[in-house]
Amino acid sequence: MTPTRTPHALDVQGLRVTLPGTARPVLDGVDLHVAAGETVALVGESGSGKSLTSRGALGLLPPGATVAGRIRVRGHDVLAMKPEQLRALRTDTVAMIFQDPRAALNPMRRIGDFLVESVTLTRTMNRADATARAGELLQAVGLDASALRAYPGQVSGGMLQRVMIAAALMGDPELLLADEPTTALDVTTQAEVVALLAELRARFRTGLLFVTHDLDLAAAISDRVYVMYAGRIAESGPAEALFARPRHPYTAALLASTPRLEAPGGRLAAIGGHPPDLRRELTGCPFAARCPLATELCERQAPEQRTAPGLPDHRAACHHTDRLEGSPVDA
Amino acid sequence: MPDNALEAVGLHRAFGSVPAVDDVSFVLPEGGSLGIVGESGSGKTTTARIVVGLERADAGEVRVRGRARATGGGGRAGRLARAREVQMVFQDPYLSLDPRTSVEQVLRETLRLHFPGTDHDRRVRELLDQVGLGTRAADARPRQLSGGQRQRVAIARALAVEPAVLVLDEAVAALDVSVQAQILNLLADIREQTRIGYLFITHDLGVVRRVTDDVIVMRRGRVVEAGRTSEVLAAPGHPYTRLLLESVPRPGWDPAAIAAARRAL
Repeated sequence: MTPTRTPHALDVQGLRVTLPGTARPVLDGVDLHVAAGETVALVGESGSGKSLTSRGALGLLPPGATVAGRIRVRGHDVLAMKPEQLRALRTDTVAMIFQDPRAALNPMRRIGDFLVESVTLTRTMNRADATARAGELLQAVGLDASALRAYPGQVSGGMLQRVMIAAALMGDPELLLADEPTTALDVTTQAEVVALLAELRARFRTGLLFVTHDLDLAAAISDRVYVMYAGRIAESGPAEALFARPRHPYTAALLASTPRLEAPGGRLAAIGGHPPDLRRELTGCPFAARCPLATELCERQAPEQRTAPGLPDHRAACHHTDRLEGSPVDA
Repeated sequence: MPDNALEAVGLHRAFGSVPAVDDVSFVLPEGGSLGIVGESGSGKTTTARIVVGLERADAGEVRVRGRARATGGGGRAGRLARAREVQMVFQDPYLSLDPRTSVEQVLRETLRLHFPGTDHDRRVRELLDQVGLGTRAADARPRQLSGGQRQRVAIARALAVEPAVLVLDEAVAALDVSVQAQILNLLADIREQTRIGYLFITHDLGVVRRVTDDVIVMRRGRVVEAGRTSEVLAAPGHPYTRLLLESVPRPGWDPAAIAAARRAL
C-alpha cells in the first residue's frame, strides 16, 4: 500500500472462481474497482456473475470453489483473512443490502434489535450508544425513531428497505454493496431509496457498488459502469460514454432490447440465443455465438480489454470494437 | 358494431373497510391491448383477478364479447366455459407449472379437458410453433427450461383454449431484458395472428409503451387517468401519472426531486 494514495474502497484483480462440476470458471479474470465515495454500477443478466463478484468483497464465496486473483478492501487482502478478521470486515468495513429486505429480517424481532445486534455482538459499541445511533440513522433514512419498536411485518417494503440501509450504515462502512436493492420496489419508492443512497454517500464518503440488471437505472445513478457477461467484464467506463457510445456489441444489444419511453414503437431488437452453458468449455469470446460482428477469430481467441481512442477509462473486451459504430447492433 | 373483447363496468371490491377496487370501468376492443398501470396497493392485480374470476366483485359487471361473465355455477361445464373466455399468465411461470409434467403433456391435458374426443397432435405442434418452442423443449420438465422458455409454455397453455382475452399479470417482469424483448415481440406477433385481446398488468411504463394501445392508470383503487397509451405517456393529465413517468430512471434523472414530489402528492 502506498502512503501517498488512499487505497480503493474495493479493488478486485483477475478474480477467477471455479465451481466443482463446471467446465469453465463462473468468474473469469474479473478486474473492478470502487474508489472512496464513488458509485459504481455492475450490470448484467442472470448468471453473469455480478452477484458473485459483489459477494466476493465480503469474502462470501461458494463452498468448494477454487479461487484465484485478489480482492482488496481498503488495501486489505480479503482472501487471506482469518475468520475473525472476516467478521470484523463484515461489521466495520463492508455492508450489504439485498433485494428482498423481508428475507433478511427476522419477523419475530423488533427493528431496533435488528439494527443494534451486529455492533453490540462484536462489542464495537455498547447497547445504549448503538440504540442512539440506530435512532439517528432511522431519521437519516427518513423514518421516525419510533420504528425501532416496530416489527418488520408492520411496515411497508419501501420502509423496510430503508431500515436495511440504516442497518448497513450502523458500522460506518467504507464500502456498501447493494445487490438489486430497488428491484422489488415501486418506481416512486425506488427513486426515494436511490436519492437516499446518493445523499448518504455524499455525507459519509462511502464507496457504493450497485449491482443491477437495469441499464437505465445504472446510467442514471452511477459514475462508472461495468457490464458483465458469462463471468467476464465485457465493457467498463464512465456511465455517460458507455451508454451513448457502447464499445461492446453485448452492451449495444442490451441497450437496444430495453423497452423505453422515448424510443419508437414496433418490435424490440431481442438478442437471439442463450448465454454459454457452464457445463461447456469456452475457447473464444463468450458472446461470439450471439454476436452479429463475430468472425472466426472470436470463436478461437478470447478478446483482451481494449481502450477506446482518447478515453483511457472506457474499455471493452471485443476484437471488433472499432467495427461497432454504424453496424446493425449500433442502435 | 363489433363486440368488445372485454368490458368492465363499475367494479367495486373492498377488503374489510379498505376499498381495493373503487368504481373501475374500462373497455378492451377485440384484438386490442389495454394496460393497467399502478404501484403496489393500486388495485391493479385485484382488478385482474376479478376479470379472471379468481376474486369476486362486490358490485359491477364484467362482460366478455358482450355477454355478462357468470361469477360461478354451471358446474364443471360452466367452469370450463368461463376458462375459455379469459386466460391468465402470471409473473412466475415456475409456480404455475407442474414440475412433474412435460411441456407437451401440459398442452395435451389442457386440450383434452376443453376439446375432448379429438386428436391433438397437430394442435400441440401448432402451439409449440406459435410460441417458438422446439421439439426438444416439448419433452422437457419445467426445471429444465429457462425462465423465458417457461413463460412461453405458460403462454402456449393459455392460448390452447382460444380465449377471447389474455390477462398478463407482470408476465415479463421477472425476465432478463434480452429475454423480455423476445417475449414482448412474441406477444405482439400472437395478437396480430389471433386477434386475441390483452389485458396487461404492469408497473413498467416502457413495457406499456411497447405492447398496449390504451392504458388506465390506477391509484388507491381508482382510475385516475385513462386514454390512448401514446397520448397518456406523451401528455399525462394527472399529477400521479406525471410522477410515475418522472420516476423512470434516465440520464439527468433527479431522484431527490421525485421523492419530494411523491411526498407532496
